[in-house]
Amino acid sequence: MNTTNGVGRNDLSRAQLNDALCKMYQIRLFEERAEALYMQGKIHGTMHLSIGQEAAAVGACLALRADDYILSTHRGHGHCIAKGADLNLMMAEFFGKEVGYCRGRGGSMHIADVDGGNLGANGVVGGGLPIAPGVGLGIQMQKRDQVCVCFFGDGAANEGAFHESLNLSAIWKLPVIYVCENNQYGMSMPFEKAFAIEKISTRAVSYGMPGITVDGNDLSQVYQATTDAVARARSGQGPSLIECVTYRWRGHSKSDRQKYRTREEVKEWQARDPITLLRAKLVQVGLFSEMELDVITQEAQQTIDNAAAFAESATEPDPASILDGVYV
Amino acid sequence: MATQVIMPKFGMAQEDATILRWLKREGDVVEKGDVLLEVQTDKVNMEVESPGSGILRGTLAQEGQVVPVTQVIAYVLEPDEVLPTSDERGTTVVTPTPASPIKSDRRVTPVAQKILAAAGVDPSSVPSASPEQLTRQDAEKFLAQQRMPNDTQSIRATPAARRLAGEKKIDLTLIPGSGPQGRVQARDVVKTPDAPAPKENVLESESLIDEIIPLQGIRRTIANRMQASSQTAPHITFTVKADMTAAYAWRDEMTALAKVEHAPTVSFTALLVKVCAWALMRHRWVNASLHEDGIHLHRAVNIGVAVARTEGLIVPVIHQADRLNLGDITNRLNDLATRAKSNALTPDDVTGGTFTISNLGMFGIDEFTAIINPPESAILAVGRICKCPRVNEQDQIVARPMMKMTLSADHRVMDGAAAALFLRDVVTALEKPTILLW
Amino acid sequence: MSEPREITYAQAVREALRQAMQRDPQVFLLGEDIGVYGGAFGVTDGLLDEFGSERVRDTPLSEAVIAGTAIGAAVTGMRPVAEIQFMDFITLAMEQLVLQAAKMRYMFGGKARVPMVLRTPAGSGTGAAAQHSESLEAWFVHVPGLKVVMPSTPYDAKGLLLAAIADDNPVIFIEHKLLYKTKGFVPEEYYTLPLATSEIKRKGKDLTLIATSVLVARALEAATQLAQEGIEIEIIDPRTLKPLDTAAMIQSVCKTGKALVVHEAPMTGGFGGEIVAQLCASEAFDFLDAPIRRLAGLDVPIPYNRELEKRAVPQVADIVREARALVRGEY
Repeated sequence: MNTTNGVGRNDLSRAQLNDALCKMYQIRLFEERAEALYMQGKIHGTMHLSIGQEAAAVGACLALRADDYILSTHRGHGHCIAKGADLNLMMAEFFGKEVGYCRGRGGSMHIADVDGGNLGANGVVGGGLPIAPGVGLGIQMQKRDQVCVCFFGDGAANEGAFHESLNLSAIWKLPVIYVCENNQYGMSMPFEKAFAIEKISTRAVSYGMPGITVDGNDLSQVYQATTDAVARARSGQGPSLIECVTYRWRGHSKSDRQKYRTREEVKEWQARDPITLLRAKLVQVGLFSEMELDVITQEAQQTIDNAAAFAESATEPDPASILDGVYV
Repeated sequence: MATQVIMPKFGMAQEDATILRWLKREGDVVEKGDVLLEVQTDKVNMEVESPGSGILRGTLAQEGQVVPVTQVIAYVLEPDEVLPTSDERGTTVVTPTPASPIKSDRRVTPVAQKILAAAGVDPSSVPSASPEQLTRQDAEKFLAQQRMPNDTQSIRATPAARRLAGEKKIDLTLIPGSGPQGRVQARDVVKTPDAPAPKENVLESESLIDEIIPLQGIRRTIANRMQASSQTAPHITFTVKADMTAAYAWRDEMTALAKVEHAPTVSFTALLVKVCAWALMRHRWVNASLHEDGIHLHRAVNIGVAVARTEGLIVPVIHQADRLNLGDITNRLNDLATRAKSNALTPDDVTGGTFTISNLGMFGIDEFTAIINPPESAILAVGRICKCPRVNEQDQIVARPMMKMTLSADHRVMDGAAAALFLRDVVTALEKPTILLW
Repeated sequence: MSEPREITYAQAVREALRQAMQRDPQVFLLGEDIGVYGGAFGVTDGLLDEFGSERVRDTPLSEAVIAGTAIGAAVTGMRPVAEIQFMDFITLAMEQLVLQAAKMRYMFGGKARVPMVLRTPAGSGTGAAAQHSESLEAWFVHVPGLKVVMPSTPYDAKGLLLAAIADDNPVIFIEHKLLYKTKGFVPEEYYTLPLATSEIKRKGKDLTLIATSVLVARALEAATQLAQEGIEIEIIDPRTLKPLDTAAMIQSVCKTGKALVVHEAPMTGGFGGEIVAQLCASEAFDFLDAPIRRLAGLDVPIPYNRELEKRAVPQVADIVREARALVRGEY
């Protein structure tokens, strides 16, 4: 059965893998740069970094077409890059510039790229969950064959909206894939204390949909699970729930002192870095040489440098335009 | 102790008076009953007597100043007595309401204490409705009364009233409010006459001005009343000519009788008063006035006779002229004329008129139109008597003493026919005076 | 144009829904019991038969997801009209309406459209007590990005609902339970009334009375009584609370010098305060000849007892009393 390059049950082409690794690097480097710029005072507000979770975002989006939708979360930079965002416009939004994705109105927590199928990061935990059936319904009623991936975290899985959303998508067989990134903490609340079950995916049973838990740090596992769910959704069989077990390396936000966990725990998870794991695998199966992978890394680094330079020099919004976009 | 000299109220409707001149000066020793000053109301000049004996002090008001009635204008002090401070003096003399005596153990409510403390007022000086306790209402009432009268900010007035007052350049503090708690409403401002329009091109026009006479006293009264009459009463006018041949003969007879009786000579004015009184009895609509509740037809015929003076026109009234004989009318006319010229008329002499005669014949005026003297409804303007050609019953042109008269009537009260019939009777009586005996 | 017939407010709403769905295949309905049941107040009765269960969608009891589904469908090209069965239960959908629907377009830099309508019946008078009688319009007026419509007549209900559905912004459309059975002339054909236009419901010179929803009808009745006393009040219905058309009311107050603002929702924090503030800040201020007064619901949960329920919100006699006092300066 597993007769091919060993990265995924179904073949991921070299080009796809190149793209996937490039995006994972971009996410990592983008967030590291953003963090540095934040500490230099060039970016303000707050930001929620997804470093350590890159495989989940990229793996899920790798299974999507360009015209499919995602609903993202407050920890959404990875989803945004994975869905194919322009890094210049993203970084410009971090800087609050007019050319940014949201004309400087949204910032890190609200980046959206509606034309690119990203219906937005969301400042409310679980805020995207009730919207997901609507996106699915819009697709279904307009007889299109797109799907919608709704990202959310372990924390959001305990919001009431989770229940309402999964139930409606299930009864109406809507093309929605619920991707839960279980990064072990809802802010400071550990998974074990917030759930009486071992796997969030087992909740799918309650709604009459398939549920699966995968290693969220393994790109191929996430990709495969999502691909299956997408196929199901596109064929009108309804939603699925995928739980990606992963770990957030950084604090919840920039003001988190992380007193709720140990350095040792963080180091244990860092030893299972999704990027390192993918790189090793790609070299192991002989698809890429180390040198080729270094070039991918350097290229990713270059795009981030360019984005930062672009964003910093971009123009500020005109104060007179403050009310633009409140109403159509 | 200090005796207040206030601006007295001489007539019912009088609100203020102009100080003409002080006859006593600051520091003069005065006796009770001495004339201290002369003031001019809207109708007459009056003397203000000293209410006590002592030294005249604190004469505040200047000559020419308009002072509201009851305001303190001076004090009569005992020797060595000091002038009351402005606080004790107040700006107006309010008829003291018999305030309940302040009990020494009177309770002051906490809110009242707080309000008064914030205003820096000693509660013991604040009157209260109840002798037992001083409440917030008492404190607020007191503080409201303490406010500077010219502070328009603290006047209770609606935004609309403030806007209108601004547009009309009227001092809001001078307008009594008809709204809740005395709030000045827009309607109150609308009722108030406009302030005089601001002068334009002051520099240019000032050079053309020789002297500015303040519009006050009688002049102001005349201005206001004539403007109001002219603007509110639709005037209709009728002119007639009377052949005064018979009236001349009649007057000569009366003059002869007067000589025998050692009585004053009868004037044409007296004759006109008598004739008009007779005609007014027959035409009650001309002897009427318009009020909010309707048209008042007067029981009495009180005829005013305009008297020209340099200070301004005055109209002394011959009350119940219909009941007086010519001799009485003549006496009364002479008395009024004399006192008018010496500014000795009383308010009663100049009020209560129901009809006015204005005779400018002595100035050589042939005919003119007069403005009705409100609240009356008609005025008769009388010209000179001069010899004019007249066609007699034999179709011959003869010279006759003729007099032109113009009646101005308020069309709201009467129609043209009513006025014309009255005027016809006046002419008939002048041409055939014996009809008065009818 | 055909002769307008007299139909009820509920029928007018239904006719608007039907005509919108006939005109635009993207328009669909979702909500609790709107299908076979015909809606808790019968407003959507018959629409299931006419348009099928694809476009008249009964949902589970999930207010948050009703709102969210409307948002998701709207942002992907549909024109959903959601129903929340009682305005009280809009509390369960607040997050979606306030944090998602209202802000999505702005947050995304003007690059998304959320053309959805959320209809809901508000108001007391049915004896349903505190949790089925709320008038919560002021909450939504306070949220930039939402439009709030509150029609008082069948004619307005139809024209404004069709305008709301055609609008590309999220609109909270507040109906009143007591108005559903009231009748009025309504043209048969499709028509829209522009959002943000108030209407003078009655001309008068002595007082400007600004009322919303069911209080417009009560104000008109009060005006008829007051006219017999020689008091002529002018009644203005804003119809759309946001955006609010203040031109007519300002002009009216400039004429009358007096204003009374009447609504059913509790006085404190009520929408009337906004109207008062707008009037005070306008050129009407200099024409005010009395304080602007409000007559609104008591600050109380709606009680069950019939008399207490009536007492909790302004009735005709209350309006007569307040208006008369204001005109006569006896306040």
